[in-house]
Amino acid sequence: MKKYLSIFTITLQEIFAYRLNMIMWRVRQIFVFLIPFFIWKAVLGQGGSIYGYSFVGIMTYLFGTTVLRSLVMGSRTIDLGWMINSGYLTIPLMRPINIFSFFFIRDLADKLFNLSFIIFEIPLILIIFHPPVFLQENLLIIGATLLSVIFAILIYFFINIIFGGVAFWSRDVWAPRFLLMVIMEFAAGAMFPLDMLPEIWQKVIYFTPFPYLLFVPLKIYLGTDLSSLLHLFAGFGWALILGYLCKILWKKGIRSYEAEGR
Amino acid sequence: MQKNIFKAYWRVWSKLTAQQFQQQIANSRGAAVLFIFSKLFRLSTSFLFIWVIMDRAKLIAGYNLAQAIFILALFNLLSSMTQLFMRGIYMFRQKLVDGTFDFYLLNPLSELFYSLFSYTDPLDLILFLPYVGIVVWAWVATGYPIALMSILLIFIIMIIAEALILAWHIFILSIGVRYLEVDNTIMLYRDLEKMAAMPIEIYGKYGSAVLTYIFPFALMATIPARIVFGLYNPLLLFVFILLAIVQLKLSLRYWKRSLLKYSSASS
Repeated sequence: MKKYLSIFTITLQEIFAYRLNMIMWRVRQIFVFLIPFFIWKAVLGQGGSIYGYSFVGIMTYLFGTTVLRSLVMGSRTIDLGWMINSGYLTIPLMRPINIFSFFFIRDLADKLFNLSFIIFEIPLILIIFHPPVFLQENLLIIGATLLSVIFAILIYFFINIIFGGVAFWSRDVWAPRFLLMVIMEFAAGAMFPLDMLPEIWQKVIYFTPFPYLLFVPLKIYLGTDLSSLLHLFAGFGWALILGYLCKILWKKGIRSYEAEGR
Repeated sequence: MQKNIFKAYWRVWSKLTAQQFQQQIANSRGAAVLFIFSKLFRLSTSFLFIWVIMDRAKLIAGYNLAQAIFILALFNLLSSMTQLFMRGIYMFRQKLVDGTFDFYLLNPLSELFYSLFSYTDPLDLILFLPYVGIVVWAWVATGYPIALMSILLIFIIMIIAEALILAWHIFILSIGVRYLEVDNTIMLYRDLEKMAAMPIEIYGKYGSAVLTYIFPFALMATIPARIVFGLYNPLLLFVFILLAIVQLKLSLRYWKRSLLKYSSASS
């Protein structure tokens, strides 16, 4: 346990090493919220609703995506491709630690760092821009939301390992990652709520793991997901499938790892 | 003499770009396809976002669907032009850390030139023509005539906008020289730049003033679109020419001062 605590502390120290870099990263997270805020304000600021979303509903959704992005998508595992290509992976492999635990602990440190900043950023956004936000009071719904967030964190972690693991076979990890980022931005519901799309599109997207990262947890939180139980199970299922896939790919990949550069 | 210097820069730039081409073809042909697909997919989702909103809202800040899409298409063109030529900024931190920047300083050509323009991405070059096509398609869809005068004015605006964007890139590089921080600063700039994909009127009086006179973002899409729609006085462009000169001078001065602080600690 102590060794994992050390990994956690060292990761936090790494993040804090370049302070300006860290501050800029957090400022960026605020701007991610601001752009859609102004767009939706121009559309719904005067009242009314579209696709069943009032200004309060869409603002809560936006606010939620900002918080969830930091929590779910705050990750150090995105370095995996670089670690394999540079041979740096050899170092954690030689240590008496479970490699998946090593990556997961680093992710947790990143998430804690993001969360600690969100505590200050949220009041700041609320004070400056006064976005109307809906606060869920139903404990059962809050519990279901937390559960779906845990599944989201696991899904994102496994996706990162799988895409990073591409480096075991190809030096080009950037292009697949770029594609993943672009698809995820859309299919996770980060750009806009997915139920604004035509129904057939929604059905297709629900068969991928992406909506369970942001869209499903937020719909559950808003209390507007009529199939929340089914979606919770689907999220859990995706976490299991991707976890299993990850294990298989890792086993194969590590056999072709040549520790180039070390 | 002046002509020779220009020729030297041109030769070095075309050599470096050709090398990038060769590198791409040799190492990552499959990746190139993925990259192009990703870029086009991202653009499609942006169009989809506008369509989703406008399908119900009909107007955004007074612009209809076709006009909003034209603004997005213009933004995409100008943004990718910047990406095309000034890609070096994304590698600049690494160059500082591994000491390559010291070699830039020793070169007879400007270290700024190497820092900014030495990584022209050939894939961006390939995408440039389709992006121009999308702008023309969106322009036709607005119903406004494609007049020679409008094209000329848009071309002038593009030059002014690129000068202003250059000034901001130099400023960010200078921060890099001083504090070793470039990556998140340029990404923050790009996040801000995305605000230009929508009509800047949606950001309110103060927001649009900042995006017009401090950052060059209004010039990237809203102002050229307003010129096409006959809603903007082209004479006001002189203000931006002045602004571009001032911002460029200030950023160059900051760059020179930053170089004096450069310790070359990495090499």
